[in-house]
Amino acid sequence: MTEQEKESENGRTEEVPKKQYISNDDLYRRSSQFELWSFTQESLEAKKKQANEIGRRIAKQRFDEAYNKLKQENPTIFEIHKQELDANNLITLLSHEEETKFIHAYCQNIVQTADYFRMPTQVKLTAISLFKKFYLENSIMEYHPKNIMYTSVFLAAKSENYFITIESFISRLKDVKQEDILDLEFKILESLKFTLLVHHAFRPLYGFFLDFQAILLHPSPVMYDVSIDTLGSLYDRAKKWLNEYAILSDVAFLFTPPQIALAAMYAIDRRITERYLKEKFLDDHTVNLESIPEHNDDVKEEDKDNEALKASNESSNQREYCITLIRTIRKCIKLSKLDNPTPEESKEIGKRCKAALNPDKVIERRVKKLAAPTTTTTNTTTTTT
Amino acid sequence: MATELQESRPRSTPTSSIQLKYSKDRKVGEGTYAVVYLGVQISTKRKIAIKEIKTGLFKDGLDMSAIREVKYLQELKHPNVIELIDVFSTSNNLNLVLEFLPCDLEVLIKDTSIVFKSADIKSWLLMTLRGVHHCHRNFILHRDLKPNNLLLAPDGQLKIADFGLARSLGNPNEDLSSNVVTRWYRAPELLFGAKHYTGAVDIWSVGIIFAELMLRTPYLPGKDDIDQLDVTFRALGTPTEQIWPNVSNLPQYNALRVYPPPSRQELRNRFSAATEKALDLLISMTQLDPSRRCDSTSALLHDYFLEAPRATNPNELPQKREKKKPSNEDDGTIKRRKL
Repeated sequence: MTEQEKESENGRTEEVPKKQYISNDDLYRRSSQFELWSFTQESLEAKKKQANEIGRRIAKQRFDEAYNKLKQENPTIFEIHKQELDANNLITLLSHEEETKFIHAYCQNIVQTADYFRMPTQVKLTAISLFKKFYLENSIMEYHPKNIMYTSVFLAAKSENYFITIESFISRLKDVKQEDILDLEFKILESLKFTLLVHHAFRPLYGFFLDFQAILLHPSPVMYDVSIDTLGSLYDRAKKWLNEYAILSDVAFLFTPPQIALAAMYAIDRRITERYLKEKFLDDHTVNLESIPEHNDDVKEEDKDNEALKASNESSNQREYCITLIRTIRKCIKLSKLDNPTPEESKEIGKRCKAALNPDKVIERRVKKLAAPTTTTTNTTTTTT
Repeated sequence: MATELQESRPRSTPTSSIQLKYSKDRKVGEGTYAVVYLGVQISTKRKIAIKEIKTGLFKDGLDMSAIREVKYLQELKHPNVIELIDVFSTSNNLNLVLEFLPCDLEVLIKDTSIVFKSADIKSWLLMTLRGVHHCHRNFILHRDLKPNNLLLAPDGQLKIADFGLARSLGNPNEDLSSNVVTRWYRAPELLFGAKHYTGAVDIWSVGIIFAELMLRTPYLPGKDDIDQLDVTFRALGTPTEQIWPNVSNLPQYNALRVYPPPSRQELRNRFSAATEKALDLLISMTQLDPSRRCDSTSALLHDYFLEAPRATNPNELPQKREKKKPSNEDDGTIKRRKL
């Protein structure tokens, strides 16, 4: 049907407006994942900053209370050691970048916990998602990640139909009490705004695996060196890639599950994935997608592409669509690669997190240390004599 | 005990102000895991039901059916699915604010003083299928469709409710529980203990509800799980390898009494008021082999919905008649789990 025919038909049927067809994309746009938990890089950053600020405020308040209490109890020491016990020198609160680093590193512990319980991938993925969402609303300076992590796993297991009793869950963990988890479950659900359904990239990845076969192998192979085995291994490696990068990073907040899945395919084999996209979207297979310049992969360029998309005709529309898609998944790949903290860095953040959560201990320790030198010296002298 | 305050922002309302957003007027029912109150959304004067889920009562924390209900209702916004208006917490209790639905289909079916026209049945079936279609296109199985989970709004709209047994359509390698759906509405693959099934289990339930709307009495009322098999196959024939390949490999498929499939004439006699197209749709929804059963899309596109009479407008459908004793008025909103 030509454009004109379409128009004239539309003209005829104007009186009885046809109900709009609802696509899967439309349905996704109505999901809580899209409505509440999808962000641009800027809005995600802002969200984290906000959570961090609340955390800093709470930690500051907690510190002040502990400080004033100890100051009242030990007025002389605070008087003598004014400098050592200066309120500004005792703890350093965390920045939102540091929090993010620590949270990402902690996701690795979720993977280990879920694997330890032999939970299905789905549970693991959902647990990570719940955990990360919690920390878009809260700060690690208010809730230490350890129990939030265990509770996320416990809640995710229930939500994904992999029920495990609290006793058997607890019995296999160290230093966790039942009430630690049960008390937090509700708090987590509240922070999640009572949304539990999470769409992950693994299902669409399987979909792409099937569609790659349909497009590249049937009715006859399109690429001389690509067989079912090639695609099988591509699929396996793409799954590994998701596990290694995507699920730990923030891409689930920035891209849709199919975009992430396609990014995984592209990250593993750019040539096959580009060919697939060409076969699927372009009539003219000679278009050189490889020529899309890398340095243009930013948001502004995408906006320009969208403008072009509206203005141009069908076939160049398809081309623009394809180019936008490739830019999007390239960006997704870029953002999947995390800036992981070194073990030392992690340890340091962890220490400061604990200090922010328990300022009384930090101050007490310092007070004791300052009050103690006489006894310590005598001790040393006794041993040496 | 009605309390008032200003409207605050939807969905993530802080605990402190939310209790003042709705009035909780009176308790209308108490089940094992929830208490239901009637109330009003202060800002809109809209009638609502508040389902207060008792947490802390379960040693394993939040109850599974509560989790499912919240999880799926948050995602499903559709005229034929009960609306979850808000969720909030009070002293570690989970409160679901649902639209107020004063009646359900079971109440109407049982009220023999009400006459169902065939256009009325068509309208209820259409609304049920639209709701089910919305669940299925979101990859959600309801798994407990029955007349008393099909609630009716004051304007006649039918709404699917009670998602306590719902789940996402799993990965193909994931086992599902076959112990779902209230017995009379349970599809044969579930009776046989299948661990893998699809939206076809919901379609079966809808088919049986369709039959019940025509008969005004439960179509396949088995006394227990064994009897359910007998009742089902006496009505629809015992499945064999010919009509349902591999059926004999299902866990509970053994020692069955063999009934022949019903002839068209037998079905015509049983559903005397049904047109040929109504019968076609019923047969299509109650195919024993789930892979031959129609899905929600083809059911909605069925000729039955194109032939006369046109489905009754929801607001012209029969309604529950006013009862003298007001205490019975809310029976329909009180949900007690039967499983």
